[in-house]
Parts: sequence; C-alpha cells; structure tokens
Amino acid sequence: MKWSLLINSIKRGCRYFVSRRVYFVSLVLVPIAFTLFFIDLMDEGLPLKVPTAIVDLDDSPLSRTITRNLNAGELLDIRYKSESFHDAIDKVRGGEIFGFFMIPERFQEKALGGDKPTITYYSNMTYFVPGTLSFKGFKSVAVTTAGGIVQTTLVGMGLDEGTAGNLLQPVVVDNHPIGNPWLNYSIYLCNSFIPGIIALMVMLVTAYSICDEIKKGTSVQWLREGGNSMLISLIGKLAPQSFMAICVGVFIQSLLYGYNHFPLNNHAMHMIAAMVLLVIGCQAFAVTICCILPNLRLAVSILSLVGILSFSVTGFSFPVQSMYGGIGIFSYLIPLRYYFLIYVDQALNGIPIFYSRWYYIALLSFPLISLLGLWKLKRRCLNPVYVP
Amino acid sequence: MKLFKNIKSWFVDLLKVWRREFKLVFSDVGVMLFFFALPTAYPVVYTLIYNPELVKNIPVVVIDDSRTSESRELTRMVDATDAIAVYDYAANLQDARRIMNSHECFGILHIPHDYSKKLGRGEQSVVSFYSEMSLLLRYRAFLSALTDVQLALGSKIQTQLIDSAGLPGQMVSGTPIESESIMLGDPSQGFASFVIPGIIVLILQQSLILGVTMLAGASNERRRRNNGTDPLAIPAPPAISVIGKTLCYLTLYAPLTLYILHIVPEAFSLPHLGNIFDYVIFIMPMLIASSFLGMSIGAFVLERESSLLVVVFSSVVFLFLSGLTWPRYAMSPFWTLVGDLIPATWGVEGFIRLNSNNASLIQNSTPYLMMWLLAAIYFVTAVTLRYVVMRTGNPRRNGYEKLYS
Repeated sequence: MKWSLLINSIKRGCRYFVSRRVYFVSLVLVPIAFTLFFIDLMDEGLPLKVPTAIVDLDDSPLSRTITRNLNAGELLDIRYKSESFHDAIDKVRGGEIFGFFMIPERFQEKALGGDKPTITYYSNMTYFVPGTLSFKGFKSVAVTTAGGIVQTTLVGMGLDEGTAGNLLQPVVVDNHPIGNPWLNYSIYLCNSFIPGIIALMVMLVTAYSICDEIKKGTSVQWLREGGNSMLISLIGKLAPQSFMAICVGVFIQSLLYGYNHFPLNNHAMHMIAAMVLLVIGCQAFAVTICCILPNLRLAVSILSLVGILSFSVTGFSFPVQSMYGGIGIFSYLIPLRYYFLIYVDQALNGIPIFYSRWYYIALLSFPLISLLGLWKLKRRCLNPVYVP
Repeated sequence: MKLFKNIKSWFVDLLKVWRREFKLVFSDVGVMLFFFALPTAYPVVYTLIYNPELVKNIPVVVIDDSRTSESRELTRMVDATDAIAVYDYAANLQDARRIMNSHECFGILHIPHDYSKKLGRGEQSVVSFYSEMSLLLRYRAFLSALTDVQLALGSKIQTQLIDSAGLPGQMVSGTPIESESIMLGDPSQGFASFVIPGIIVLILQQSLILGVTMLAGASNERRRRNNGTDPLAIPAPPAISVIGKTLCYLTLYAPLTLYILHIVPEAFSLPHLGNIFDYVIFIMPMLIASSFLGMSIGAFVLERESSLLVVVFSSVVFLFLSGLTWPRYAMSPFWTLVGDLIPATWGVEGFIRLNSNNASLIQNSTPYLMMWLLAAIYFVTAVTLRYVVMRTGNPRRNGYEKLYS
C-alpha cells in the first residue's frame, strides 16, 4: 500500500519537474553551462605573462641585461619601456600594467663600484594573482642579479665557480606543492566553485518546488496524493530532482577528473558518493529552511543569500581557520563545506577515506535533521496562505 | 505648440511613473529586501568574513633529521615568521603525513641529516618543504615566508663563511644591489583589502538587478491576472516609463552608493583613496546601465520569485568575468567580450583603480565611457522589450497552470 503511494508520488514528482522549463534550466543547463564556462575561462591554468613595464633610468649593459632577464622568464611580459616613474604609475592606474621594475640612474657604475644602488619594484596588489606573479618575477630577477655580481667578484678573487655559487645560496628551500605542482588555478577554483553552483541551484530548486505548491494553493492536493504523509510527498517530489542533479553532478565530475585530468588520487567512487550526499544534503538543507519559513519568497531569498555566501564562508579562498571564530563556525552548517573537505582529502591529496569519515557522516546528518521540522511544513501545506 | 504640449505630457508621465514606482517598491517587502537589506548587510558580512586579512600561524610539522644547533636555528626562524607556526616535530615522513592527513597541519618541513655538515663544508644545503595545496592562499603565505627565511639565513651564513675563509668581508658581504619591493593598492597584501572593493561594486549591481527583475516579475504576474494589462502601471510611452523607473531607482540608490562606496571601506579601514565625488560620478552610468539591464531581463521573468533562480547564480559568473580572480588579460577574446557587456566589469575595474590606486577619472575614461555605451545599448533593449510586451499583452501562459487546469 505504502509502496504504491510512493510510486504514485514519484510519478507526480516527475510530472511536476517537467511541467516548467525553469526547473530543467536551473538544475541541468545552468550547472553544465557554468562548468564549461569555468573550464574554458581558466584553460591556461595560470595567467602567466603578466603585463608589466620597465623604467630604465640607467640604460647601461647591465640594466639592459636585467630587462632581458625579466622578459625571458615565464612570469612577466615587459610591454612598455617607460621614461619615468610617473609614466609607469600612470599606466598602473590606467590598468595597462600590473607592476613595474625601476632601475635607478648610474646603476651599473654604482653596482660595480660597491656603492649599493637600489632597485625598486612595484606590484599592483589590487589584483592578487597578477600582482603576486609580477612580484615573484621581479623578486627573482632582483635576487639573481645581485647574486650574479657577487659571484663575479668572488670568482675574481680566486674562488672556483661552484664554491662561489654555494656561498651565494648556502640554504635552499625546495618547495613541493603536493597534488598541484603546476600551481594550476583552474584545479583550485573549478573544484570549489562548480560544486558550489550545483549546491546553490539544488537548494533553490528544492525550495522553489516545495513552496510553489503552497503559493499556488495546490499543496493540499500534493499532500493528499502522498497519502497525507509529508515524508512520502517530499520524497516523491524530490527524488526525481535528486536523480537529475546527481546525474548532472557526476557528469560534471567526469568532465573535471576525466576530460580535464584534474587530480583524482583515490577511487572515483569516493567522489561520486560525496556528490550524491552533497545533492541530498543540499535538498535536506533547503527542506529545513522551508520548514522554518514556509513561504516561497522568503525561503528562496534566504537560500540564495546562504548559497552565495557559502562561496566565501566555506573557505574556498580564505581559510576558515583564519576567520573570526564567530564567522567561521557558520561554515560547518553548510553541506558544501563537507563536500569541499572530502574533495581535498580524496581527490587532491588521495589520503585514506578513514580520515574523511566525519565529513561523510556530517553530510548524512543533514537529511536526518530535516525530518525534525516536517510537522510544521505539513501544517502549512494543509493551510496554504500566500503572503506576497 | 503641439511639440510643447507633447513635451509637457511626457514630463508629466515621467513624474507619474517615477512616483508610482516609488509606491511599488515600498509596498513590496521582497523588493525592499533586495534594494535595502541586501546592499546594507552584504558588504558588512563579506568584510567580516575576510577581515582577518592575512593567513597567519599556519601549523607546520618539522622532521629534523639533522638535530644540530643549525637545524634548530632554522626551525626557530621558520617558527618566527608571521605565516608559519611549528606545530610539532615528527620522527619521519610517515608520521608527518599522518599528522597532515588528520588535518592538524598544512605543511611539512624536512631538514636532512647532512644539513649542518654541508653548511660547515661550504656546500649548499637543501631543505624540503611539502605544502598542502587545497588553498593557494596558504601556499602563497608559505612561499613568501620561506623565501624570506632562506634569504635572511643565507646572508648570515654567507658572512660567517666569508669571514672564516679570510676573504675581505666588506667587498662581498651583504649584497651589491639593494632591492626594495613596494606593493601598490594593497600594501599589507590583505585579502579583504583586495577583494572587498571589487565585491561591493558587484553587490551594488546585483542587488539593483534583482530588485528590478522582481518588480518586473510582479508586474508580469499582475498582467497575466488582468488579461494583458498591468492595472498598477502608468500608461506611458515605453521610453518614458523606462526612464521614469530608472530615475526612481537612482534616487533610492544614491544613499546606498554613498554607504557602500564610502562608509564601508572607511569603517573597516580598507584602502580608500581618491575623491568621493569621483566615485559617485563614476558609478552613476553603472547604476543606469544595470537598471536598464534589469528591465531587459525582467521582460522574460514571468513570476516574481523566478527572478531569483535566473539572477542569483549570475553573480558568480559576473564575479569571474570582472577579472577580480582571473585577470582579464588572460581570458579568451570571447569571454572578454561577454565581460565587456556587463556593467559591473567596468565598474569593478574602475572603482578599484579609483579607490585603491588613487587613479583619476581621466585615467578611467575607458571604463567610464564603456558603461555609458552599455547604458545606451540596454536602454534600447529595455524600451524595445517593453514595447513588445505591451503590444502582445499577455505573455506566455506558464505550463504549471496548464498542468492543474
């Protein structure tokens, strides 16, 4: 008896899902389009060849060597040769360059004469990535230039080149970026923002499709067809959506880890399970919000606010550990946070699933929590009032 | 004379539309939420999230195979940096991995057994650092801290070695060239100082578009219920009603703009240079263009709430197209073009320069003129779409009603 109710309810859920274009668009087209946008946008991995300028007030062989060295690296593109500081800073303010390297007058003369001239380099940190890359490029050239002169002096004193080189850099820190040795920006951003969009759209569609019944006054009928059980009605409505969203999510994962060869250092099932749990967790989160605020506009507004904020508060760019405690704690209320942590452990670092166990459990707990408020949602479904 | 009459009647219509739009805004809680609550609260919430600015004291585990005073000195120096805090010592790489897997540290420093021996012999000592790569901000902090340690330690050891080798110290000690790095726009390299000036401009545009599309959706709902005419709309020519509505939004957004672009950066001590009049003059075409853009999108929004489904996710797309995270010079021509069509792309770019780089309006003439161009384009689309909707009257019936009728 119950089973036939559930099957009927699911059938109705399928009919409802296809009744309006906006659901298909939001749940299927938007995430896929967004994924393609992201993958294509950051195709290069790192935005190398930062547009920069050189201000060479010396114009000596040494300063021209520096210019050539700056341009030879992969990081910088010396687009302009500016005549003065003002000319260069004007270009920064006009957005043409992200930094410039300044060689003072009588540079070579002073450098070789032991008079310690000062090289100054300016990086525009209002854009973090190009600013940092230009800083890195400038700094390495500044250090190696100084080193080159010292080495020449030392060799001139009779040291062999090897010893002189060791003397220049007695200690070297060899960096090993685990999992993303290319410092690929696309790997880093796609794996956090694309699931974020899936989560956002799943939450919005869930809340929209539930509260829409209340707004239109059809919720009584919806509940009746589910045998007056809120749970069966909800499963009937949400199961087709879960199925669609999971298919889309796994397809997107296949684009990331298969087509794009992003790091997947553990079994693919670990990530697929996380995607299934993310979709269900987000639906449950939306149901919980609908239980608290059974009003189409309020529920959808709150969820869009939460969904958009979750890109920041889940610590994709700025670590949760460094946030104020009172803010960081909110990240643990959002399903997306746990998916991100699972991704870091399972796909990027490929560590044993044992270490991620709590994240899976946390994702599982969202559906359980949502059960607590169903009585309230049911009451509102039986007395649908639309407050505009 | 007829011309004067016409102009007068247009003017009267304009004022009527303006007044009616005020009424519509203030009688709709949903719209007020987007017009007032969102732009007031969001900048504060975002800044609170990012306000710690720097990533400090990231836990790191040290494997010290050398166990000498030199290796301990290196550890102390690493620990003393702003970015890194030594969390624990580990016996070997396995143990260190275990600590990292348990999410207790984010980096491993491995000092090899011959570290001090090599230093003593005047050879180069290589120290390995393994960084967890989930967040690039952490890696960036590690990298700059370790480079600083490497240079500081290097020049110290260098001096000692040169002294002991009996070379004339003053000739080679230290570096023959001093170098000085200056960070423009965000001298402390704080994350909030970098990201907030851009985000607040985007918030300005998105809240305006959300509110405008929601008003349009509500109007479309009324029109559907009333056989193709919206009873609350003033019967005015399309261009007049589009301008009238925009005037209303501009009046509402004047205080909000001041709050977002001036008070928020001031209150959180974010970079805030330049002149407040410049900001206002600069951002005006963005607001106008966003309002027209919102009305153009609104023609396709059949219901108040579906505007959310359509507009919300676009915030993330617009954020990336603006070049704040992924610079625009590295985008393909296609995405650059798409970005060009969004008012906030130019708004973000120009406002950051005005606000953080102390640029002048003249230096920002490209974004400024582009926003006016967009305003002109979206004015045409908004008027055309409004004309079409008024002519055809009843927009498409939605499928949902068909299902239950």
